[in-house]
Amino acid sequence: MKLYDYVLSPSCYKVRLMAALTGVKLEIRPVDFHPGAEHRDPEFLALNPAGSIPILEDGVLILTESAAILAYLASKTAPEWLGSGAPEEVARIQQWLSFAHRLTSSLGGARLHEMLLRPGDIGALQAQGIAALRELEAGLVEQGLRGMRFLASDRPTVADIACFPYVALAPDGGIPLDPYPAIRLWSRAIRGLENFIEMPGIHRLHELKSEPNVEPGDA
Amino acid sequence: MPARTPAGPIALWRSQSGRAAASADRCPHRGMRLSHGFVRGEALSCIYHGWSYARTGNCLRIPAHPGLTPPETIRVATQQVKESDGVIWVAVGEPAVEPPRLEGVVPLRSLTAHASVAAVEAATDALVWQAQTSRKIRLLLVPQEDDQTLIHVLVDDNSSPSERIAASRAAETLRRLAEDLQTKGIA
Repeated sequence: MKLYDYVLSPSCYKVRLMAALTGVKLEIRPVDFHPGAEHRDPEFLALNPAGSIPILEDGVLILTESAAILAYLASKTAPEWLGSGAPEEVARIQQWLSFAHRLTSSLGGARLHEMLLRPGDIGALQAQGIAALRELEAGLVEQGLRGMRFLASDRPTVADIACFPYVALAPDGGIPLDPYPAIRLWSRAIRGLENFIEMPGIHRLHELKSEPNVEPGDA
Repeated sequence: MPARTPAGPIALWRSQSGRAAASADRCPHRGMRLSHGFVRGEALSCIYHGWSYARTGNCLRIPAHPGLTPPETIRVATQQVKESDGVIWVAVGEPAVEPPRLEGVVPLRSLTAHASVAAVEAATDALVWQAQTSRKIRLLLVPQEDDQTLIHVLVDDNSSPSERIAASRAAETLRRLAEDLQTKGIA
């Protein structure tokens, strides 16, 4: 399976993270998204007319929507990430997968504006981002009251992976995460998962690693 | 976690043995926010260079100088904390009195409103609580910077999960109303 990837893209990171968590080996094809805008080259538009990344290629199958890629990786190797199949859980997963688009446009838009100087109304993007974070926070509080740590279940699903990266990188767009205690707990739960991988701006939990013991004079 | 007090921003943290502590949210080494850091054992470590601090504020360890016992002068300011009835109270200076008791209620959630304390209070008066039953709801309002208010919501300790969810949604309504009042300049 080949992933057309950009290391700083939260959407590409969703795919890398899902692959790592489910033990799928990906062939990574780095794309010069910035400053080269390689994803707009004719060769790429032939693969994906929308001109977006990530793109996952597996034989004749070409997927360009990150939610579809997450579902594909999960159903191939680790279907437990698609939930138990209980109607309420199926619905919650779909709800948050759709909601993830709002995170991409608001938090992601603010981040592109701040990091890559993309034109846009930063005040409006941040306000939409805060509204989305508040919804996510309320959803996680309610899940907590139902005795569940993740968005759709007491175990992580594709919905959590779809929402996590843009939320964790919200501060890049000038939107602090300080006011959201439930989001911070959820982020810690995801970053503490076995086989979790990092991306620039999202680190694993240091406290899970043992204290590095350097003897005097080693350095 | 980060928190704000009249004495400035703090990193509020709980050690492995369960003791809460409040340290100024600035590492004396390079000024990094300690609330970005991590707790290992009984120490809070800075995310930048790993300097770690005890609950009492003294520096315990500087990883780049493994043989060095950090001098007493390297310390981060701390404030006294007290946990009672599920709420952590942070004292600014020497506490004159014990925190008030909050019997019969338990903490539900904390949310930030882009509205002043006065606007939140006005909204509370105006709001017919969606969750209005015989259950108690208590709010603790803490003014933040930029006319924001941190709302701690406590509910009757006999409430069922569905009543708690209803109370959480009522708190969202309260926030919307308070922010509306703030925008319209009524409060």
